[in-house]
Amino acid sequence: MSKLYFDAEIAWCPGCGDFLILRSLDRAIAELGIDRHKLVLVSGIGQAAKLPHYTQANVFNGLHGRPIPAATAIKVANHELEVVVTSGDGDIYGEGGNHLIHAIRRNIGIKVFVHNNQVYGLTKGQASPTSDPGFVTPVQTHGVVNQPYSALALAIVQGCSFVARSFAGDPKHLQAMMTAALQHTGGFALLDILQPCPTYNRVNTYQWYRERVKPTPDTHDPFDRAAALDLAFKWSDEIPIGIIYRCDRPTFESQLPALAKGTLVGRYAGT
Amino acid sequence: MDLSIRVSGAAGQGIGTLGSLLTGAFAGMGLHVFTTETYMSRIRGGLNWMDIRIGDYELLSGKETPDLLVVLDPQSLSFLRERTNEWTLLLLNGPPTVGMVAIDFAQEAKALTGEVVMANAVAAGAVFALLGYHAARLHSLLDARFARKGQDVVDANIRCAQRGAELAEPYVGTKLPPKGVGAPDFVCSGSEAIGLGAATAGVKFVAAYPMTPSTATFTYLANVADEFGIVVEQAEDEIAAINMVCGATYAGVPAMTTTSGGGFALMVEGVSLAGMLELPAFIMLGQRPGPATGLPTRTGQTELRFAVHGSHGEFARAVYAPGTPRQAYELTRVGLETAHRYQTPVILLTDQFLADMRTNTTPLDRAPRPIDRHILADPPPDYVRYTITPDGVSPRALPGSAAYLVADSDEHGEDGHITEDLNVRVQMQEKRLRKLEGMRREVLAPERYGPERAEHLLICWGSTYGPCREAVGLLNQRDISAAMLHFSQVWPLNVGAARAAIASTGARRITVVEGNATGQFASLLREEQVLGECELMPKYDGLPFTGEEIARRAQS
Repeated sequence: MSKLYFDAEIAWCPGCGDFLILRSLDRAIAELGIDRHKLVLVSGIGQAAKLPHYTQANVFNGLHGRPIPAATAIKVANHELEVVVTSGDGDIYGEGGNHLIHAIRRNIGIKVFVHNNQVYGLTKGQASPTSDPGFVTPVQTHGVVNQPYSALALAIVQGCSFVARSFAGDPKHLQAMMTAALQHTGGFALLDILQPCPTYNRVNTYQWYRERVKPTPDTHDPFDRAAALDLAFKWSDEIPIGIIYRCDRPTFESQLPALAKGTLVGRYAGT
Repeated sequence: MDLSIRVSGAAGQGIGTLGSLLTGAFAGMGLHVFTTETYMSRIRGGLNWMDIRIGDYELLSGKETPDLLVVLDPQSLSFLRERTNEWTLLLLNGPPTVGMVAIDFAQEAKALTGEVVMANAVAAGAVFALLGYHAARLHSLLDARFARKGQDVVDANIRCAQRGAELAEPYVGTKLPPKGVGAPDFVCSGSEAIGLGAATAGVKFVAAYPMTPSTATFTYLANVADEFGIVVEQAEDEIAAINMVCGATYAGVPAMTTTSGGGFALMVEGVSLAGMLELPAFIMLGQRPGPATGLPTRTGQTELRFAVHGSHGEFARAVYAPGTPRQAYELTRVGLETAHRYQTPVILLTDQFLADMRTNTTPLDRAPRPIDRHILADPPPDYVRYTITPDGVSPRALPGSAAYLVADSDEHGEDGHITEDLNVRVQMQEKRLRKLEGMRREVLAPERYGPERAEHLLICWGSTYGPCREAVGLLNQRDISAAMLHFSQVWPLNVGAARAAIASTGARRITVVEGNATGQFASLLREEQVLGECELMPKYDGLPFTGEEIARRAQS
């Protein structure tokens, strides 16, 4: 298991994909040489949202569904900070779905790492926006009937400048995707991380994902939107992982006249 | 001496243009002006009006009936006539009609200039003449307004104004106009005053979702953003707006949002977040008559209880309620200072009456004077964000410094990390609430107006200030001993000081005057044991109080 910076009491279950996500994140930060004092980890509520407490960085652990607007403003206030949202599928795709849409439109330079385990962990096993149809839970007693939320397709259609997917059970791939997202300087980056939940999701297990995830072929051009959309909609025997889509757009912060001469916080004239 | 002019018409007919022209001209003549707006929630059609009151003494309220009624839309004549008295002079935009001055403004403008666009100048000329002012006094203003469009345009406007005055000439002489007394020609609305107060106090980030009556301040800030180096962002919803304010303040930038009741309802979870993370979130809350969408464009003081209590959990906050544009300017700064000194959310309560009221005042200082954010510039490496202190205020550092800034909406220890240690919980809750003790000591004293001792004390808050002050003047003129106590800060209360202020008047009768149906401030004062028995003077018809109305109701 990952070395934890704090003698914190970890609230995650043994075998949780969150441990692997944390380890990959720590390694990516270390290998990129990111100054942790300039790093802000922003999260909402959920098991995934506890991640910032288990490493060393500035932390903004806010409200359920609302890390994206908080992270957006942190980036605007001090665009020299590396601002990374790490939170769950319920947080980013469910409660905060509207913010995801509009943050992509802004192309604000934050990275959003979604721990997508297709289930609600902290509230004990209800469906998430990404649960597969038929998934039986204490609330969806006859199985989920709603069509799953297609985060990647949504992001591509909205013109998200960086869209990727990875799998917590493949830490090397995950670290590579995190690294690519952290190195992305062109604005908003969405990384959807398939994450097994050994306690509440007995369907989408490590093995279930391992049998299906497949790295995107070398021939895939992420700037090809039609090809990217094809990959984004694939969710069957084959689930693509890798950088799915990229596009070049000016970032939100680069278009704000007030930031032209330095950070907003750095230029505050008062004490 | 004072006169009131009501300029009415359908939305889109140019009430604002004519109103602004007249207001600017009157202020330029050294008259005191006070304008209010009454409008429907629509962009075209309906019936709107602007009341422009002018006088040779300070004006603080509108009047119930106009001395001159300008009717741009003849269809609304009968409705508007019901709200006049036997002395009201009528100026109709239309064909000759018995009992009133009738001028087809657009037709006259077209005849003179070939275009209808200068109809407002014709109307302004007629208004000036009917009030007994020389239309030439409009010329310098028309010159200033239209100079950048060229001398031809200025001259055409002046010809139109002269024509309006000529047509009104046969009816001149029934009104005795107030004379200029050197009142300042700086005219400002409540909305603008708040925006300027925020910009000069150093607000650098504004996130909001448009909603009447708060939009004007949001728009004002967007318009001065380049001048003051502010980032103004239209958020996708009010939830995003308040969470953005939390994010920006966490990173060290003074930030605010503007909203109204329904938007604030969406924000309250975020307000609670600011309470828990101890962030100086500043919220301008423009009240309006609810419930739900209610009367979106009308006025009311309906959200005092909501501002004071809205949000889950218990935390320190301050709520200010200015009564005039100048107070709005000053209290915006005071509110931001309180938010930063105590690291907790602060709400500025306004309403449509205050937001839209325009009056002349000595110019508001436009020079930036950024407030002290109370930031620990060089935190030690072992710094923690939520140190328990005697006054509850912990040294605040910023992310990006030598220390880590850990903030969590869960209950947390001094280091900011999540905890379920219930002893720590008790300590942290007590620490956060201790801030209220200091805030109580700094509560703004209520403003007294009227005689030292009075039979009847009128207590009010927020935008009822002006009408209530005028009422006290009217009542004492009528030999009824009355005084006013106005609260521009409604939370927290300094109970001892408030009780002493009330007792010092010796009043045997106390009435709380407020623009809601249930007496929200009265109940708050009673709950806090500031007041015992009292009378209520509620108002919930969507219109602002006037001095006359309060005086009349106080006498009944």
